[in-house]
Amino acid sequence: MTRTEIEPGLRRIILIEIVFPMLLLVLGITTGLLQVLYRAGVIRSQSFLGIEYYQGLTLHGAINAIVFTTFFAVAFGHAVIRFYTGKPLLLRWAWPSLILMVVGTLAAAIPMLAGKASVLYTFYPPLKAHPAFYIGLVLLVVGSWVAFFGWIPTYRSWLRENPGKKTPLAVTGIFATFIVWFIATLPVAVEIIFLLIPWSLGMTKTVNVPLARMLFWFFGHPLVYFWLLPAYVMYYTMLPKLAGGKLYSDFAGRFTFMWLVAFSAPIGIHHQYTEPAISTTWKSVHAFFTLLVAIPSLVTAFTLAASMEHGALQRGGEGLFGWWKKLPFLDRERWMFSYLFAGLFIFIFGGITGIINASYNLDTVVHNTAWMPAHFHQTVAGPVFLAYIGGSLLLVSLLSGREIAWKGLNVWIPYIWTLGIMVFSTGLFIGGVAGEPRRTNMGLSYTNPNSPLYQPAWKIAKLVGTLGGIIMFTAMVLFFIVFFATLLRKKTNESVLDLPVSEPLHDEDVPAVQSFRPWLVAAAILLIVAYTAPFLELAKGNYKGAPPYNPGNPVAESR
Amino acid sequence: MLEKRILFAATLFALSIAGVIALSVRLFGIDLPTCLTDVRPFSDAKVIEQGPNRYEVHYVAKMWKFEPADLNVETGSTVDIYLSTADVTHGMQIIGTNVNLMAVPGAVNYARVKFDKAGDYLVVCNEYCGIQHHNMAGRIHVGASRPHSADEASAPLAPSSGKDLLEKYGCTACHSLDGTPAPGPTFKGLYGSQRTLADGKTLTVTDDYLRESIEKPDAKIVKGFDPVMPTMTIPADELHAIVEYLETIK
Repeated sequence: MTRTEIEPGLRRIILIEIVFPMLLLVLGITTGLLQVLYRAGVIRSQSFLGIEYYQGLTLHGAINAIVFTTFFAVAFGHAVIRFYTGKPLLLRWAWPSLILMVVGTLAAAIPMLAGKASVLYTFYPPLKAHPAFYIGLVLLVVGSWVAFFGWIPTYRSWLRENPGKKTPLAVTGIFATFIVWFIATLPVAVEIIFLLIPWSLGMTKTVNVPLARMLFWFFGHPLVYFWLLPAYVMYYTMLPKLAGGKLYSDFAGRFTFMWLVAFSAPIGIHHQYTEPAISTTWKSVHAFFTLLVAIPSLVTAFTLAASMEHGALQRGGEGLFGWWKKLPFLDRERWMFSYLFAGLFIFIFGGITGIINASYNLDTVVHNTAWMPAHFHQTVAGPVFLAYIGGSLLLVSLLSGREIAWKGLNVWIPYIWTLGIMVFSTGLFIGGVAGEPRRTNMGLSYTNPNSPLYQPAWKIAKLVGTLGGIIMFTAMVLFFIVFFATLLRKKTNESVLDLPVSEPLHDEDVPAVQSFRPWLVAAAILLIVAYTAPFLELAKGNYKGAPPYNPGNPVAESR
Repeated sequence: MLEKRILFAATLFALSIAGVIALSVRLFGIDLPTCLTDVRPFSDAKVIEQGPNRYEVHYVAKMWKFEPADLNVETGSTVDIYLSTADVTHGMQIIGTNVNLMAVPGAVNYARVKFDKAGDYLVVCNEYCGIQHHNMAGRIHVGASRPHSADEASAPLAPSSGKDLLEKYGCTACHSLDGTPAPGPTFKGLYGSQRTLADGKTLTVTDDYLRESIEKPDAKIVKGFDPVMPTMTIPADELHAIVEYLETIK
């Protein structure tokens, strides 16, 4: 784990994996801004700039939450494995992985842009998208698997060469990320390949919707841990160093990664609390497991605060709380600290509201209201997004040998984003508790004074949300300026891989968290416990299948 | 080891939340919808008065409305809601209550609600169900006595009549038959009337205009309305029946 010269092939792969989704992200962020404008009734129309509202919402979710995240996780994984094992990666896996992901993204993007896949990024049947949309998603996922499979031989040979040595924490974190991803994507692959693709091609007439939904959410929750884990890797391995200190506990990091391997999947039904076809018995089991998955997040909050305190004390901080002031909040050279710290701050609220959502009967108050996007923007658009865009900028700067452009501005971007997201979610939380639905072009109905559905009481919350959305958009415009200006600068440095590395302060030897094997067994047992009976219930229910529907037509497609 | 104590505290915290939830279910009976296997999906909405202040309502969610669209009950009524969908997945939230149900194709959902406060309750579809999702809503009127209006009866319509087709294609989600303001112009008195378009031009509503407006909704937009109508493919015979029927709504 020292400054590493990186092979030109891998360098090129990582740069493509960062720049390609970043270009798409421009569209994903713009459609995000349009969302708040539509919902507040600023844009009162079914479409704007040639993009229909629900089409734009599909693009916003698919690009930001699926494409950008998957590409970054793979690119960051390549960088971490290369840097910490010190071994060249197997490009015969990395290139096909990249090609599959790019082809898949394009295959899914074309029908979305053509308005033939306005089914949102959750693609719930029996709303039907063009088959290319589903096929594209499969290729994207398979591409990410290929990258993961390619790291295994590299890691194995590192293990052989370093007998008795602990696996570097970052490598453990990346493997945890992709194990969670692999477990998560198997059920959704079953849903897409066996249910949705044949049905969208007309080979089967109907689809079993309760089954498709259970498979989707079997994927949908571990998906959020797949998003979160690379951010956790940065928190545990970079943040303490950037703060000027050490990671408070190596054990805490390993425990967190392993616990998420075991517990991130057997909890998907907490997204289905208000649905029929699932009994309260199994809803409550999943609720219980969901609360257990909060434990590593609480441990993480403590460990990172303790690590930052350690860092601040090294920098001359004093007192019970006074040390806080000594953190490098606006240090232009340690700018990555501001991205990670701001995300961590947002995550406090994302985490608390997550516990509220998981709380079984409490969910009936907030399910599918604007509260939900407020919550998940404080997670996926908070710690995850800031770590990912910060990480993207870091890797681009290192690997292309270019200094960050606009350093003084750059360090402020995460704070502007934080202000935006806190204002945005305050509006959505208030609106959500009042009953405002998510995923709805409210400007045409609930916030339209000319509509019989007009709800004046929801208007204020909407305006607050819109203000937040505009601030978020502003932060991202500034980020794109910094990112692309950096990319277009003259090359001044050598291309190297040099990640911040945090030493542990307490480095206990706890064998239970040093091997994946017991946790994989635990994951398998928990999945069997959590999902066998719900699937049997579905089989017993023998639910009638549904024909495909085009989102624009209330009459089923005839077959 | 401090971090072990933190781990213990975090676990205790998670378990105590689980305990509070379990208590709320046991003591107050606040529970989630469960798996019903003895009720099959239905396509006819029904309001059954089971006794004084007791109702059973069979709600049908469809693109893009609820049936019954309006429900009238007395203050203090307890209503058993059964929810089925006629097409895609929908959500049904009665704002101001804890009723928040998913309507999933193939299955029937259930909730019981007691209306203690008089007032108009908005019923919102909160799951994306197609491009007119934002107009999918209903009302529940809770009052001192129950007005027995005709519109909540769910008499089946004669098959393949023009009126039936308006229902089938979801037109009535946005166009009223009786002059009630809605997202689209009402059908009442439409045929033969003078319309002012968004660009200031005026025209008289003819067969051809009606046909064009159904097939190419964005071709001519009436002033004061948004260009939001989806384009649909409707077979020629059905289109003919629809236009013939529209001519009769005076």
